[in-house]
Amino acid sequence: MMFTIFRDLFRSRRSFAAGVALLAFVLIIAAASLASPYPPNDSFVVPPDLAPSWPHILGTTSRGQDVFWQLTFAIRNTLVFGFIVALVSRIISLVVGLVSGYVGGLTDRVLMSINDTFIVIPLFPILVLFYFVMRDNMSWTLLALAMACLGWAYDARLIRSLAMSLRRREFTDTGIFSGMSTRHILTQEHMPYVLPIVFSTTMNNINWSIGLEVTLSVLGFTDINTPTIGVMIYWANQHTAMVAGIWWWIFFPVLLVVITFIGLFLLAVSMNEYIDPRSRLSRVAA
Amino acid sequence: MRVWRIIAVVALAGLETASVHAEESVADLPRNETLIVENPEGTIKNAGWFNIWAINAGGQSTGLHQLALDTFWFIDPERGLDGVWDNSLAADRPLYNSDFTRMTVKLRKGIYWSDGTEFSAADVVFTVQTHMKTNGLRWSAPIQINVDSISAPERYTVVFKLKKPNSRFHALFTVRWNAMWMMPKHVFENAGDPLKFAFDPPVTLGAYVLHGYDPNGKWFIWQLRSDWQRTSIARFGKPGPKYVVYMDAGPPDKRVIAQLNHQLDVVHDTSPEGMFTLVRQSKSSHGWFKGFPYAHPDPTLPAVIFNHELDLFKNRDVRWALALLIDIKAVSLASYRGAATISAIGVPPTGTHPEVYHVPLEGWLREFELDTGKRKIRPYDPTVGKQIADMLRASMGEQIPADQNQIAMAFGKGWWKPDPQAAQELFEKAGFAKRADKWVTPDGKPLSIRIMVEGESRPVMTRAGSMIAQQWRQFGIDASTVVAQGNMSDRRNAGDFDVFIGWSVETWGGHPDLSFFLDSWHSQFVALPGKPQPPRNWQRWSYPDLDRIIEQTRKIAFDDPKGLDLGREYVKLVVREMPTIPLMSYNVFTAMDETHWTGYPSAEQPFTNPVPNWANSRYMMVRLKPRK
Amino acid sequence: MRGYSGYLLGRLGQFVLVVFIGINIAFIVTHATPIDPVEQSIAAATQFGSTNPEAVALMRQSLRELYGLQGTLWDQYLVFWKRVTVGDFGPSLSAFPTPVRTLIGRALPWTVGLLLVSTVISWLLGNLLGGLAGYYRNSKTLWLAGIVAMAFHPIPYYIVAFVLLIVFGFVWPVLPISGGYTMNLQPAFELTFVASLLKHSILPVLSLVLVGLGGWFMGMRSLVSNIVTDDYVTYAELGGVDGRRILASYVMRNALVPQVTGLAMSLGAIFTGAIITEQVFGYPGLGTLLVSAVHAGDYSLVLGITSVSIVAVSVAVLAVDLLYPFLDPRVRTTG
Repeated sequence: MMFTIFRDLFRSRRSFAAGVALLAFVLIIAAASLASPYPPNDSFVVPPDLAPSWPHILGTTSRGQDVFWQLTFAIRNTLVFGFIVALVSRIISLVVGLVSGYVGGLTDRVLMSINDTFIVIPLFPILVLFYFVMRDNMSWTLLALAMACLGWAYDARLIRSLAMSLRRREFTDTGIFSGMSTRHILTQEHMPYVLPIVFSTTMNNINWSIGLEVTLSVLGFTDINTPTIGVMIYWANQHTAMVAGIWWWIFFPVLLVVITFIGLFLLAVSMNEYIDPRSRLSRVAA
Repeated sequence: MRVWRIIAVVALAGLETASVHAEESVADLPRNETLIVENPEGTIKNAGWFNIWAINAGGQSTGLHQLALDTFWFIDPERGLDGVWDNSLAADRPLYNSDFTRMTVKLRKGIYWSDGTEFSAADVVFTVQTHMKTNGLRWSAPIQINVDSISAPERYTVVFKLKKPNSRFHALFTVRWNAMWMMPKHVFENAGDPLKFAFDPPVTLGAYVLHGYDPNGKWFIWQLRSDWQRTSIARFGKPGPKYVVYMDAGPPDKRVIAQLNHQLDVVHDTSPEGMFTLVRQSKSSHGWFKGFPYAHPDPTLPAVIFNHELDLFKNRDVRWALALLIDIKAVSLASYRGAATISAIGVPPTGTHPEVYHVPLEGWLREFELDTGKRKIRPYDPTVGKQIADMLRASMGEQIPADQNQIAMAFGKGWWKPDPQAAQELFEKAGFAKRADKWVTPDGKPLSIRIMVEGESRPVMTRAGSMIAQQWRQFGIDASTVVAQGNMSDRRNAGDFDVFIGWSVETWGGHPDLSFFLDSWHSQFVALPGKPQPPRNWQRWSYPDLDRIIEQTRKIAFDDPKGLDLGREYVKLVVREMPTIPLMSYNVFTAMDETHWTGYPSAEQPFTNPVPNWANSRYMMVRLKPRK
Repeated sequence: MRGYSGYLLGRLGQFVLVVFIGINIAFIVTHATPIDPVEQSIAAATQFGSTNPEAVALMRQSLRELYGLQGTLWDQYLVFWKRVTVGDFGPSLSAFPTPVRTLIGRALPWTVGLLLVSTVISWLLGNLLGGLAGYYRNSKTLWLAGIVAMAFHPIPYYIVAFVLLIVFGFVWPVLPISGGYTMNLQPAFELTFVASLLKHSILPVLSLVLVGLGGWFMGMRSLVSNIVTDDYVTYAELGGVDGRRILASYVMRNALVPQVTGLAMSLGAIFTGAIITEQVFGYPGLGTLLVSAVHAGDYSLVLGITSVSIVAVSVAVLAVDLLYPFLDPRVRTTG
């Protein structure tokens, strides 16, 4: 089954193939961290400030680290970070959003009160205070969990509004009248509408979490012993790499993040179109 | 697509309206009369507050304490315009009685407040008495603890009667960065509660008055008083700049950009790389040293500060072993890119200290022996400074001085030679053991050390800490850094750290007396575990010999030559005991742009400290000359 | 409209509840800070000057009294609510005795101005382009626009801001890179001041729009591409309704509903979101105030900013919810 879907996707959508290729590229780089000749936290293991050239293909940092090998660790940790945040917060937001939207009534009120409380509380002071309270125990996994617990409410509301609107549509009523089970209505009729939102919010969420991680890093609230994209930028920043002309220290990490996102974007777009049956039909017909 | 065309047209029109050159960053002030400097305090929350006597209520180094306020004496961290000691509002040095229970101050005549009122003993008496009867003013506590009464027998004489002998009481009124400033009696006596009075606009005693400020706290502009001749600094001539702007210049990169655009004459500090970029890209920018290492060494001594409350660091052998694992060359390179001035001993290698401490003690250091338990070693390597210079010469070429004395001044003299073998012997002597490449403590736990650093707020120190962690790690110690961004002072005061990179030594710079920091190292001030430690003995180290040195220092006068002997005794004691591992001076990359102004202080003309947040930097103004 | 007024009442009750819970959580969180404002003030006052250790103990005691920190947490909680009801947050602890209200009042217009403008611009532009891209799915230009918007979107905001700063402040120095207006100008409604104000806001707004655009673009694009395949759109197409009209009245209108909700919720970022913008461009505003308040352990100020933000965002969300039944006729409340 999975295999067939993949084969279909590859055949029908070039963007899917491109997305897979880009993500595979990123994953290979992340996997290369296992083969790194240098421990991630050691500095001055190579001559500093070298522009990209063989054997340091992406150059070296002002801390005497090889940008390529640093990047392998950084992208690996950042990806894991983003996925943890996205996964945990997706589960919460889907459950809250769908339950609230379908069940309605008092349940909706209660859930949305909690949800709105999370929306209106500003995140930044909470994350920084969390950092102050955790002190030495602050690690990026903890940060990921904290962000997941804070970052679901926005999407839950989006999913709820979609669920509410779906509940009101004719085909739901038609389905109920024609004796379809709730489960069947949800999975067969509504999932095609919900999934695109899930995909796009997942991407936005990963994007948001990586962005916030970089923000916290730039402001210095970070565990500088775990290389991530944010921590790389943090160190580059501490060495004023932008004005010192060490552009490769910042350019390549950012480029890799951009590649990751374009890959995810292409994937989400093509999946959305694949999932939506009518869209597929119209494409076949065209 | 029509949309794109519209966007393009709008964007182009917007860019057209912008003039091709960046506009002047200050409106309506002639650039050749305006000096623009950075205030490292950044954005001032409460910009319209100039009452510096209320604690932490507004800005300090917004120009307020550099240009608007004054007090009895200044000690220059460098050589001074006319010697290190300057009688500012006082006509003479402090006069103590024989048991240091009374201090008499003769005041300078003909000094006026900016509103035309003459400064006199009445202002001093008012300032001190206000602090005596008001709790919570910035200098209330030291005044209340020390002063029994104050009187003004004449219009230009004040007499402080002290509660107990204090031979350093004048330090309260002697500027090293700041000191207790004088209040205008005629303004404050009608102002109600001195804790709630904003003092806007400030009536000044310095040569400048407030011209304007940003309500959002980004900039403050000061204007030279027309009657500047009636201020204490007039003795050295007319200050060059008619206007001085103190601004929030943003993060280090932006300060570099601003100076490259010639919109910021004095950068307070930037990263080493930022400094290198400035001198590489701008012919008119320079630092304290003409060439490498550029930075101004502040009389402050960054060190590895152990927490002596922890059993781990109670053993001198452990502290020494950790010192011998540090390769200062690598630390200098990682932190300052080599632009550091190293010091093996417990005084900063700056101002007049090298000639009174470092050079005379060089012979003793070379002879100094350390018992590792197996053998005696001489850990001091007098050539480290030269090695750093040689290492840098490979890439920096002629920028690196070749002359021995210049090297010593710029890079420091010697340091401890990295000696893992001796460190191993010391650890073993202390009962530690190595198991499977990892060191364990005498009670069998892994030897683990967290090095607390301040992160973004002190990038160079953070870099030093990361390198030291790496060096300890390579030896088999579980060492890593923790960033205490924002809560460093809380954790430091509470003793909530293993070791941290910071300083517990700050000195006058220009004067050999060490009491500025050393008095607070007395065991009487060491806080109980869990209680906050008062400045500056952050390591909470107490030692009977040290107490004796401090007590003897208290009994002699500030300028007594015996003070120097006691200072050297302190140096030898902390070498033997290694309560902290001194690394280097706190080098500040103060970059000065000669495009609009010239005559800045430098290593060749060390008449004062150019670092613009020091109140002492006011002396720079009288030497500055416009270029055009 | 009985159903609607019932809905209104319920929604208002929920609004009050959310604000109350939110501010309480903020109170607890801010007072849980391990940073002691008194120690911060002492550190600020003693960090460079000469310091007598005995004096520090005395200073600590006086400040504790002055700042009114002796009472229990419960006492402080009661005082807080008593003040909040009259719109007061007490004195700031890192700029004592200035009231928190004054500090917030000074910074708020800047933050709201900057972020309102840039959020609205990026929302409009993102939805327009996203809607077009979702509808005209075979347009190469729009496909490319999507890729470009998506490529900008994940670049960490700090980098976008800084690259703009370097390009327009240094490489081609045509725009100011610091502050809200030229130094030494007096804020007034005059041409020079307004021109300076606008000029100083170009880079901050541009950076926020560039980064904000992609999210709205993406959301709108996927919403529209779903609606396009709905039966009623197909009917309209078959019925020969003009393409533009379909896009405007059938597709965009329905797709906009969740986007309006999103806009209301993203307003939350207005109060705390401009931290990096303010740092990079030296722009005045609440972000800098918040960061320094957090650092100083000034929980009065943090709580003040947080409460303002909570109330404002709640109001925005409430407004959208109340308008919801009018925006999307399919949603009717059951009471």
